[in-house]
Amino acid sequence: MPGSGLRRVMPRHPGVFLFLLLLLGLWMVPIAYMLGVAFRPSAQAFDPTIFEWPPTLQNFALVLHDNHLLVNFANSVVVTGGTVVIVVAAASMFAYGLTALRLRWLNPVYAILLTTMMVPITTMVLPFAIMLKQLGWINDYRGLILPYAALGIPFAIVILKAFMEDSPRDLFEAAMIDGCTPWQMYLRVALPMVRPAVAFVAIWQIIVSWNEFFLALIVMTDPARKTLTLVPMKYSGLYMANPGALFAVLVLIALPLIVVYVVVQRHFVAGLLAGAVKG
Amino acid sequence: MTPLPPRRIPVSTGMRAGEAGPVALSPSLRHHNRKARAGLSVQVFALPAVLIFLGFVAYPVLWIILRSLAPDAAPGSPRGAFGNYFRALGDPVFWIALRNMGLWAALTIPIQMVLGGFIALLIERYTHRSRAFFRTMFFVPVVTSVSVVAIVWSQMYAPYYGIVQAYLHRLGLTLGIALLADPRTAIFALIIVNIWQWTGFSMVMYIAGINNISEDIFDAARIDGARFRHLVLRIVVPLVAPVTKSLLLLGVIGTLQTFPIVYLMTEGGPDHASEVFGTEIFRQGIVLGNTGYGAALSVIVLILSLALSILQITALGAEVAPRRACT
Repeated sequence: MPGSGLRRVMPRHPGVFLFLLLLLGLWMVPIAYMLGVAFRPSAQAFDPTIFEWPPTLQNFALVLHDNHLLVNFANSVVVTGGTVVIVVAAASMFAYGLTALRLRWLNPVYAILLTTMMVPITTMVLPFAIMLKQLGWINDYRGLILPYAALGIPFAIVILKAFMEDSPRDLFEAAMIDGCTPWQMYLRVALPMVRPAVAFVAIWQIIVSWNEFFLALIVMTDPARKTLTLVPMKYSGLYMANPGALFAVLVLIALPLIVVYVVVQRHFVAGLLAGAVKG
Repeated sequence: MTPLPPRRIPVSTGMRAGEAGPVALSPSLRHHNRKARAGLSVQVFALPAVLIFLGFVAYPVLWIILRSLAPDAAPGSPRGAFGNYFRALGDPVFWIALRNMGLWAALTIPIQMVLGGFIALLIERYTHRSRAFFRTMFFVPVVTSVSVVAIVWSQMYAPYYGIVQAYLHRLGLTLGIALLADPRTAIFALIIVNIWQWTGFSMVMYIAGINNISEDIFDAARIDGARFRHLVLRIVVPLVAPVTKSLLLLGVIGTLQTFPIVYLMTEGGPDHASEVFGTEIFRQGIVLGNTGYGAALSVIVLILSLALSILQITALGAEVAPRRACT
């Protein structure tokens, strides 16, 4: 919108803008409180306020000194990374077979796969626990990666299938005339064509896997294998009398995914608006 | 102004718009399809998803159904094929959990919808440069680890030093009770945490829904001088109905998945007052080792989830990811 400098800086609906800011301020109280306690001296840890002045880094110095957060962080990275790779690969291959290759027998299979989305994880923890014990996969990354993938693949297929159906088939025909094999078509045509959907599916799977708690609680009993979501429990006992240190740990645990989301949110919203969800 | 995403022409049938009939495929594609159907090698594309489904969904579900029909070894465990189910029906804790799940769904789903939809509408229609900022910030609780959320809120609810009590007191409302330790308030205190964490998800879904409403419709409303109230009730609410339906579907399933917030903040207490299916399955099936009883509870949750989902899909036409419900 061409206009004076002031007009470009001012929101067009200042009332709504201010209202949203106020609401956001209220909404962010728990986050602000978490930061507030993490950055205050331990003597003031129990003050019923959000912020205390001046801030201090002593809590972070303490928790960074005596813990294994990096190990837990690495565990989360392995579990989440493994899940995302399997979900994207398996779901995109299936969606490609269903739409581009039109393998007819996959239609009923697709319908069956979709029922997975109606199976709550509360139903699955007990059989998973027994099954993983029999496989010897307790405290094994596979014990989280494969169940997470199994529960994540159906939703990913829904999204990827929808995008592939909406993509022009001419590209496949052209690729075929050029003599592409089905694999080359999958890698060079189908996947690049639905890149926004892949980004969307991957980001959503990262959020879900990184934060999953129930199954991780049962599968990862060895402290050296615990994922980041399990760590606050240990510290809430350890630092019961020192909320400053506890909250510093919480900040360090929450931070990675928030940062990742802020960096990639553009792609998440783009995938959403491009048709992952249509109203 | 973000440009509206272009409406795509559905080409799922392999036809381009304007083509005459189902036989209009080009020769190369038809040839390829014949080959694809005949060849075993292309079936490989379906294998990973199918194998993972068989091993990690179908097998565990079958296992838990069979296991629920077998009695536990512990003394006093019920006998008979359906003994575990009768035990659940006779256990007051089961009914408390069921009631709490009903409360959970009845409060979290509509409140998250209204709040999330309202925020989404304000962001999408009335902000411009700050749009990405608001979209991202309201979504932050969704990406914050639930165990972090649970501990922060436990401290906020704490008696004596918790900020909830302190600020309510300043507003003139003095609570004589510890919210999480009182059986009357515990479940509501947990529900508030859930609403806080998941409203951003409803918002994001509605953002997608609102962006699918044609700009022409908003223009027409503006020209007609429609008031905000009318804009919301007559245009936005009906046109985002597919999103609302899928939020209902996801909300019911999500409710039945409830575990970490309750486990970390009250462990289902005090005296089972905030028990949910997740905590009861965890206690019975994992901690106490009553595998058969835990399995029966798991199957009951599964049946509830399937029944409620199928009801919504058939009665309301709900979809997990709403697509093309209006054109």
